[in-house]
Amino acid sequence: MSGEKKAWGLGHGAWVRKEGRVSRSFLILTQAPRPRPRALVCIRAVFVCALACAVVPQTHALTLDYDPLRPTELRNCDEQRYRGRDEAAQDCYTQIFVDSHNDSLRAQAVWAMGDLAAANVLFRQYLALNPNSTLARVAWGRLFLETHQDDDALKLFREAATADATNTQAKLGMAQIFARRFEGAARGLVAEVLKQNDELVEAHLLLARMDLEEGQLEDAERSLDKAQSIADKHKQAALEVYSLRAALDLTRGGDGTKWINRALAYNAHYGNVYATLAHFETMRRRYAQAADLLRHAVRLEPGLSSAHAELGANLLRIGATGEGQRELATAYEGDPYSTTTVNSLRLLDRFNEFDDSVAPSEFPVRLRLNKKESAALRPYVEQLAQKSIATYSERYKFKPRDTVTVELYPNHDDFAVRVAGLPGIGLLGVTFGYLIAMDSPSGRATGDFHWGTTLWHEMAHVFTLEATDHRVPRWLSEGISVFEEWRTGPTPGVAVTPDVFKAYQEGRFLKVEELDSGFIRPSYPNQVQVSYMQAGLTCLFIEQHFGFDRLVAFLYEFKKETTVGAAVKAAMKVSPAEFDKEFDAFMKQRYAALLPHMDEWQHNYKAAYEAIEEKKWPAAIEAARKAVAMYGEYVGDGSPYLLLAKAYKESKQPAQALQTLLDYRHAGGWDPEALRELARDLQASGRSADAIEVLLAVNYGDPLKEESHASLGDALLAAQRPQEAMREYRTLLALDTHDKATAHLGIARALRSMGDRAQAKRSVLQALETAPSFRDAQKLLLEMTDERE
Amino acid sequence: MVVALEVGHAVTRRLLAAVAVLCAPSCAWAAGYAVIASGLGGEPEYEQRFRDDAKALQAVAEHSGEDMHVTALIGERTTRDALHRAITSVVERATAADQVIITLIGHGSFDGEEYRFNVPGPDVTASDLAVWLQPLAARQQLIVLATSSSGGALTKLQRENRIVITATKTGGERNATRFAEQWVKALTSNEADRDKNEWVTAQEAFDYAQRKVADAFKGNAALATEHARLEGTHPELIALARLGNAKAMPTDAQLNALFAERVRIETEFDTVKTRKAGLPDDRYYEELEKVLVGLARTQQKIDARQAALETKR
Repeated sequence: MSGEKKAWGLGHGAWVRKEGRVSRSFLILTQAPRPRPRALVCIRAVFVCALACAVVPQTHALTLDYDPLRPTELRNCDEQRYRGRDEAAQDCYTQIFVDSHNDSLRAQAVWAMGDLAAANVLFRQYLALNPNSTLARVAWGRLFLETHQDDDALKLFREAATADATNTQAKLGMAQIFARRFEGAARGLVAEVLKQNDELVEAHLLLARMDLEEGQLEDAERSLDKAQSIADKHKQAALEVYSLRAALDLTRGGDGTKWINRALAYNAHYGNVYATLAHFETMRRRYAQAADLLRHAVRLEPGLSSAHAELGANLLRIGATGEGQRELATAYEGDPYSTTTVNSLRLLDRFNEFDDSVAPSEFPVRLRLNKKESAALRPYVEQLAQKSIATYSERYKFKPRDTVTVELYPNHDDFAVRVAGLPGIGLLGVTFGYLIAMDSPSGRATGDFHWGTTLWHEMAHVFTLEATDHRVPRWLSEGISVFEEWRTGPTPGVAVTPDVFKAYQEGRFLKVEELDSGFIRPSYPNQVQVSYMQAGLTCLFIEQHFGFDRLVAFLYEFKKETTVGAAVKAAMKVSPAEFDKEFDAFMKQRYAALLPHMDEWQHNYKAAYEAIEEKKWPAAIEAARKAVAMYGEYVGDGSPYLLLAKAYKESKQPAQALQTLLDYRHAGGWDPEALRELARDLQASGRSADAIEVLLAVNYGDPLKEESHASLGDALLAAQRPQEAMREYRTLLALDTHDKATAHLGIARALRSMGDRAQAKRSVLQALETAPSFRDAQKLLLEMTDERE
Repeated sequence: MVVALEVGHAVTRRLLAAVAVLCAPSCAWAAGYAVIASGLGGEPEYEQRFRDDAKALQAVAEHSGEDMHVTALIGERTTRDALHRAITSVVERATAADQVIITLIGHGSFDGEEYRFNVPGPDVTASDLAVWLQPLAARQQLIVLATSSSGGALTKLQRENRIVITATKTGGERNATRFAEQWVKALTSNEADRDKNEWVTAQEAFDYAQRKVADAFKGNAALATEHARLEGTHPELIALARLGNAKAMPTDAQLNALFAERVRIETEFDTVKTRKAGLPDDRYYEELEKVLVGLARTQQKIDARQAALETKR
């Protein structure tokens, strides 16, 4: 943007009339040579005409500008707008537009009246002529911020900050972006700004917001006190202070009424007070409550597109798809710049690509699976979902009050849009109360993730959220999910990765009372992943040190509004400081063999890897054995177990190779190819029952590959488990296997074994219909015919 | 081996199986010709893979019948001249009743106009192949180009009585392909034998290989960089691989009568199948059952008779 000399000109204008009033003006911009003065006057005349007639509804949340350097003319108009006196504000801004020769000022005037495109034109024009104006550059950045174009906004803020290192507004703009992205850099910038000038309301408000998001309520209150005192001193509107105070009150168990009333007394149409409350309820995963608040917001301020968008998003989270879609459509009408709204609407248009079914059972589960894979996946997802619900109902003494919905997305970007409105997030699954959305196994490369474990993890969230009415802290919900993966999930075994130990040794583990910040605003690159593991280990520690019933009791402390510290004291009868100390002792004791020798482990692991590459099997065995002995919990990618098994196999020690793969599986290893190999080895050793269990486990990692289903079906049939065998053969048909005849024959045998002669006959005929020369099917047909005769 | 086509394609398929089992060396049946060539690998890994694939296909071809004439050019032997000579020899010897299969494995390239099969020395172009094969009289021709960019050769090689299979849909798909590996697997295991008649046809092999290649890309959650194509008619009539150890069996009048009976029943089977859409399910499967039971019993008698004759031998 800097250095551009071209100017934008007005190419075409259209008016939309609605109920006798001009409700919106649309300007289609074309790139034109720098207009001569006469053209400029023409543009201005058009604007004046338009704006004189129009009261442009506010479609974005009313953002208050606290910049002490904001021109007085604008601040006078702002006062009217903040009070909700739209017509007076309109007149005021129009006057500025007409009278001023400063395009930056005029840009901010038309912006305040809701014409963002025109504001963009004017800012660009102004900066073309005044490239050194940091004030205008920052203001333009704020415009991009309002239209969700954070990257462009960041560019402008950085340019301003480069030109003037003391520019606090540029830094605050950047901080707003980082805060929105939950990046740790936000706090640092705000601290810098406050050091330069402690009297900036916006800085204190931003700090308060971040503290609220992280559950640091006392700190938030202090910042709000400061913000309020400055606002009062300078007679600035305190609407946002009131909104955040209301949110603080809500978080503390109140209802925020006092502060809501104060905000509405200042501006009776300030819908954003409810939208702000809704934001924090959404942060706490209380989506139904957020939706109720947002309904209030849009009732007060029907044109508030951002609230409609958030309402739509929350309705989708609680399964109210129809209403959610309507709200998003309304949001789009008012704010077509929002990519999250557009993405979400597009995704909803494609919901007809999904099958929607509810399997009746003691624990009904609604499955939303893509039609291309629903027949193949359904049996496994249903079974695992129901098993997880039964397990958690028992363990956490909570029965779901609603049907759990599970959605699997073959396209990861669709899943990302479902969750966040934007493609590209790094999550595998998300839970919104009774709704789970996650990647389908077809959405990622084989071995990339274990869909069964992801479902198990997400289902635990359903319980921790619903049992506490969504009050459970983020870290504890994640911690219990990870802990349950290890304890009861389809890949049991405490699997902790090396980077977690590194973080522990570097003192990066957080105190229990601060663990949420590791998730919400990470301060180093992999802190979120480390926090997941720390949370899981914390729950493991509670189970081992205090007992599983204490973990459950700890969870239930959050049925009411409380703090982590209070809950620790109530459930574990120790102070948070003591808890942290005992957890530290637990870590040192559990990993006594590893922690002081991480370097040695790395060395052995590397040596094993290199020996494998060089085909030096004895050396590989020696090094890999040491690595496994030191760190038996490492079953991730390239695990030493797999290196050891390979080395044993290559040096013709099949029994040891088999035992190593068994150890790998027992430690939580789940690589599908490794497990298939294990199953083949077990079959070859005559351990068919064990082979079956391994192949069943493979279905929870890699269910869409044909090869295991055929051999599993045959093994189950031989083990007289025809119902399960049938499931495998039916999956083959659902996968459109090349060899349908064999699948039909398998089904025929299973049905016959179950006594269903008629259906068995039908299936064998289907086998022969495809392959009339199929000897085995012919034999079965004749047996059945001769039986009958 | 190729059998007379007068009885219709469906029956032809049946006769394939019968003849393959029946035919003694004295039978005056038509012959088969296979030319298999592996090209330049560039890297040791590819060199080895192409050689192994070519050798596997050579073994398949040699096992498929006593009247199959196989020429394999592997590694450095695969020059333009050598391939030209091999093809010319086939062209000179093959009659209209014969079956000819040309398989090229390796790397290919396409410059927008011409496809090239990379070999030591001058490459073999699609134009070369088209010209060399122009005089070929065989009514059953199959050309398999299991190389990158092979789709670029399609337009030059397509003609009546010829099936062309390429590993890529156009010349623009330039990455090394996985098709050859799956094609070999189709012909060397029983996984591709969809109708369980112990023969793998070109259709079955193509469907299998195409599917396995697509699955491999899906398994990596990757966009497919190759899309195999098959152009030409009745690939189900070209038998490529005989499974199991069945060799030409002795025969007698009784066995011949049983084979004729089997062909009759199989024709009836095909007729019942064509009526599927117009019949209620129960009725259809009732009729199908009658035919299939008859077929199964006839097959039982054939197996018993063959076993008896084998014991006598």
